Amino acid sequence: MRVAPVLALVLAASPLGAQTLDMRLAGRVPAAAVPRIDSLVAQAVAESLPTEPLVQKALEGGAKGVQGELLLSGVRRALAQLRDARAILTRTAPARAGADGDVAAVSAALGRGLPRPLVERLLASLPAEPPGPVLHAEADLLGHGFPPDAAADLLVAAERRGLRGSRLLDVAVAASHELQRGRTPADALARVRAMLPDVPAAPRPHPRSVTRRPGPGS
Amino acid sequence: MTPIDPRLQQALDGERDPATLPPELREAYARLARAAALLRDAPAPPSVAGRVMDEIRRSPAPAPAPAPGVALRRVADWLAQPRAVTLRLRPFWPLAVAATLAAVVLVRGEEQVAPGAKEGIAQFVGHFPGARSVEVVGSFNDWRLGDLALRDDDHDGIWRGAVMLPAGQHEYMFVVDGERWVSDPLAGRYVDDGFGRANALLIVRSAAGP
Repeated sequence: MRVAPVLALVLAASPLGAQTLDMRLAGRVPAAAVPRIDSLVAQAVAESLPTEPLVQKALEGGAKGVQGELLLSGVRRALAQLRDARAILTRTAPARAGADGDVAAVSAALGRGLPRPLVERLLASLPAEPPGPVLHAEADLLGHGFPPDAAADLLVAAERRGLRGSRLLDVAVAASHELQRGRTPADALARVRAMLPDVPAAPRPHPRSVTRRPGPGS
Repeated sequence: MTPIDPRLQQALDGERDPATLPPELREAYARLARAAALLRDAPAPPSVAGRVMDEIRRSPAPAPAPAPGVALRRVADWLAQPRAVTLRLRPFWPLAVAATLAAVVLVRGEEQVAPGAKEGIAQFVGHFPGARSVEVVGSFNDWRLGDLALRDDDHDGIWRGAVMLPAGQHEYMFVVDGERWVSDPLAGRYVDDGFGRANALLIVRSAAGP
């Protein structure tokens, strides 16, 4: 029995959970919208979906001055996207379907416009990979005009050659650099495939001054 | 001890006329008589108690206890007065203390910028000439205004900032002059915000690696 979803359900359904949510929303979103946002969050809890993306969407809408029904439609859309993400994970990588972070990552990939069949194919091909980096790498490649299936093939090949996690993002960066050097998309993908697994790593930032921010909800 | 002649003793005691002394004793009598006169005329040495009492009598009477305000003013005056202070130090110790303080400051400074295992550094750059303020608002700070301001120290219109964030994906927008929401044109990744705009999508890599 998974304890975290049960605990989240108990907390969100309890007066304390609702009070905590209301405290985060108070003064940040129109007061009239708060009960309906509460209701959407409660639905997510009942379906064992992550709730933080919904709270973030409500806070975002409030900060941007979005009013009434438009704000609620944004939260509803986020909830629908989380449901889609959960369904995709349940079909392709059931072990990850209960992880809030993985559900949120797939939801974000859908939000970037990745077609569902492509998402399912990548998740099924790379069950050991956390979904976030590989899906964002695919979305990056599509954003540069690479053919979806050929881009997915390259990412799967890179994973087979030992590139994992955020290193898959470096594969997308390397392919875009080959495009900038004047190669066609097909040539760029072939070039990067030939250099696997030795694609250049992204430089680590070393700014002079860095601020540490509190996390969401703190 | 040399015994004194009894005739000389009698003369010194006043029991005999010194003129009746034989000539060899008269000279000794004269010396002793002069010495006795010196001792008799010399002032008696005062006792320790007497000297102390004399000193007390010469000192002015102690003033009554000052009021609290006066006492504070005296303390303040004492503190405000310039005073010569002589310090005798071995150079080793001040240098050791300074080195220790410098080490503490440097180590703490490094701690402030060292990301944790599940954190990474995000850098933001935006070109907003003429802007009075530029800030970053996003899912990492609950979309709260006034939390993360960028800086344009050299007033060239390029606003910059860096922040430590949890590894993973974050959505954000720039807010210019506190009211104008702008997508980061350099982000490269965007997602429909559901409200008619596009959020920039930031993927923060863990400092610990993939």
